[in-house]
Amino acid sequence: MRAVLTITGAELRRFLRDRSNIFFVFIFPLLLVVVIGAQFGSSATTGRVSIAGEDGPLRQAIVTELEASKSTVAFGDWDDIVEEVSRGRTTVGLRFPDGSNAAFAAGQPVELEMLPSSQSASIAVQQIVRAAVDKVELDRAQVAALVTRGVTTPAAESAIAAARTQVTAPTVHVEDVDELAKEFSGLGQFDLGASSMVLLFTFLSSLAGSATLIQARRQGVIARALAAPVSNTQVLLGQAGGRFTIALFQAVYIAVATALLFGVDWGNLWLTALVLVAFSAVSAGAAMVLGSLIDNEGAASGVGVGLGLVMAGLGGGMVPLELFSDTMRTVSKLTPHAWAYEAFAEIQRHDGTLVDILPQLGVLTAMAAVALAVGAWLLRRSLARAM
Amino acid sequence: MRELWTMTQYDLRQRIRDKSLIIFSIIVPLALMFVLDLVLGDLTNPQLQPTTVAASVPAGDQLGAALVDVVRSLDGVEGMDITVRDAAADEVHDLTRDGRVQIGLIVPEGFSTALQQGKATDVTVVSGEGTGIEQSIVTSVVESTVNRFSAGALAAEAGAQSGLAPAELAAIGQEVATAESTITLAQGTASNEQLSPTGALVAGQAGLFLLFTVGFGVTALVAEREQGTLARLKSMPMPSWTIVTAKALVSFILGVVATAILLTLGGRLFNVNFGSPVAVGVLIVAAVVAATSLMFVIVRVARTAEQANIAQSIIALVLGIAGGAFFTITASGWVGTVMDLNPVSAFIRGLGITSGGGGLGDIGTPLLILLGFTVVVLVIARLIPDRGAAQ
Repeated sequence: MRAVLTITGAELRRFLRDRSNIFFVFIFPLLLVVVIGAQFGSSATTGRVSIAGEDGPLRQAIVTELEASKSTVAFGDWDDIVEEVSRGRTTVGLRFPDGSNAAFAAGQPVELEMLPSSQSASIAVQQIVRAAVDKVELDRAQVAALVTRGVTTPAAESAIAAARTQVTAPTVHVEDVDELAKEFSGLGQFDLGASSMVLLFTFLSSLAGSATLIQARRQGVIARALAAPVSNTQVLLGQAGGRFTIALFQAVYIAVATALLFGVDWGNLWLTALVLVAFSAVSAGAAMVLGSLIDNEGAASGVGVGLGLVMAGLGGGMVPLELFSDTMRTVSKLTPHAWAYEAFAEIQRHDGTLVDILPQLGVLTAMAAVALAVGAWLLRRSLARAM
Repeated sequence: MRELWTMTQYDLRQRIRDKSLIIFSIIVPLALMFVLDLVLGDLTNPQLQPTTVAASVPAGDQLGAALVDVVRSLDGVEGMDITVRDAAADEVHDLTRDGRVQIGLIVPEGFSTALQQGKATDVTVVSGEGTGIEQSIVTSVVESTVNRFSAGALAAEAGAQSGLAPAELAAIGQEVATAESTITLAQGTASNEQLSPTGALVAGQAGLFLLFTVGFGVTALVAEREQGTLARLKSMPMPSWTIVTAKALVSFILGVVATAILLTLGGRLFNVNFGSPVAVGVLIVAAVVAATSLMFVIVRVARTAEQANIAQSIIALVLGIAGGAFFTITASGWVGTVMDLNPVSAFIRGLGITSGGGGLGDIGTPLLILLGFTVVVLVIARLIPDRGAAQ
């Protein structure tokens, strides 16, 4: 056992001494969690309305109404806004021509320019703009109805303000019964991104790290270790242990860092740890297979990065599995990512117990056993090959 | 000149023999385009779907019926396909939950009376399966209409407080509820400079992996330095600039060929039309030049080939992801401006313009960004100390 642990320890030390890992293992995954959280997290709004043109009471009133809806309101030059709309960065542009504020105050017709982007989602935002304009017009019509009957404007405004406190406004409330919306409703802004990144990076780092296994073979490190008074099994176990420790290190680092820095709620820690261990074992096995099959470091890291990204994409490491079509959902079952994703979803969102995640853990363990056995067998065979 | 071509040819042969070139430049980006297209589908730009609304209105409730009529009138507006069917209040939730209808609308008992008397009343919108666009539109229309219905009662109450005669109060309510609109929204049309979701994926992956491909040429300089062959090359009777130029030429040729293959294959496989081949060709050349210029910074910063590979991967991933290789990152203000200066985002932006029908004359801004990026990066490469040579 000591020999196995020594080899495992040496592999981990090699990994930690590699300065490139500072970026790829420690910084990059967290950066992506932030970017994904900021883009798709719970703070995402319904759309972006960019406003240009003459400032005044009409513009301010419409902006207030827009902000009361969940739209992001931005301001800028019309030419810039036209470009933003063309590029899809602004959902709807709205321009107030000169004199529009005064014309509105005087009860004269006003024409505002609305420029929607070509996305379908812009239709919803256009409706929100129309609703904001309608609300401002209603407020004005209320004052006007009193003023035409001899009430002064300030008195009419204060009477309407007073009436608001006495009349109970009708309410419209939205109940979401969509399974998908309910599934994600309890998640924090970074929760989904964090679990995806754990899966993506643990597998990716392991596969890309298979190049070090090739290096060890090329430089005769493994062959020399075999010449020492240790058994073949001990050396192979040590190599597998090394790959496993590195994978687990990456997984635990992202889990702990996202919990501490972004308050990601991982649910039951013991169960999460079990999933991480099983998934890291599959990653380690896959790295051994890749590092034994390919004899060129450059090609191995190319295939590693490619396979790592493709499998993460297929297994819910980039897009939530719940958004997949039925066929893709079935295909995703071929990846360990999908099983680990489902286990995390069960633990994070449904307070799942060990029994709930047993099927996923079972499949992951079986995948790990096969991958590690095949990896060890291939590694043993590869040592006989000339490089 | 002959030496330059000989060195370029030799390097090109060597690079092409390296399996990792074809893996990184063609296979991985194509595989990623394929997978991301499969899993993302139309998620990034959902289209309107036919929508059925199950509406429950108490018998004889006039305003409730009017509210449903407003929702019904949405059919055909902006390409919406809305059907309204009547339902009992207690079956609306089930219908929506089962997916038989996409939206439920429940108008409570006594809705009209409550509105007229300024009393509390609550309309329920039940949001079911769908893209969310239809739900958002219907909810906004319902809110807007209910506001209009209640505005009359509020104005009448204000009138009463202002001491107006009771006979006038009803007229006030009517006047406000039916007030003519004085604000019109004139809808303009902006030119479309956006790629389709699949087009953006193809362009993004091509832009991202271009940054890896060009590395195979220039960073070979670092490998030559490590192996000692650079010193031998320098001792040859030829100007030393030819050595650097040969490496840059290799990067340039690999970059142009790989990107052209990716855009052509990606376009064919995923049915994306990037527009004018001439404009696209100019964009590819400008993007490859910008990407190659970055490698000169790496060559001066990195001491070993391994360091060069790492630095290159970091720069490629950061610029690629920030430039929208996987998903569009929306930013405005100065952050948006900085993001625009990224060669990957300028490349995607240029392809957006050409795919929308733009020609050479329309891609001036992205081309200028790519050119400016190249100049600035080359100046930086000139100014920073050469750590490798200092060894």
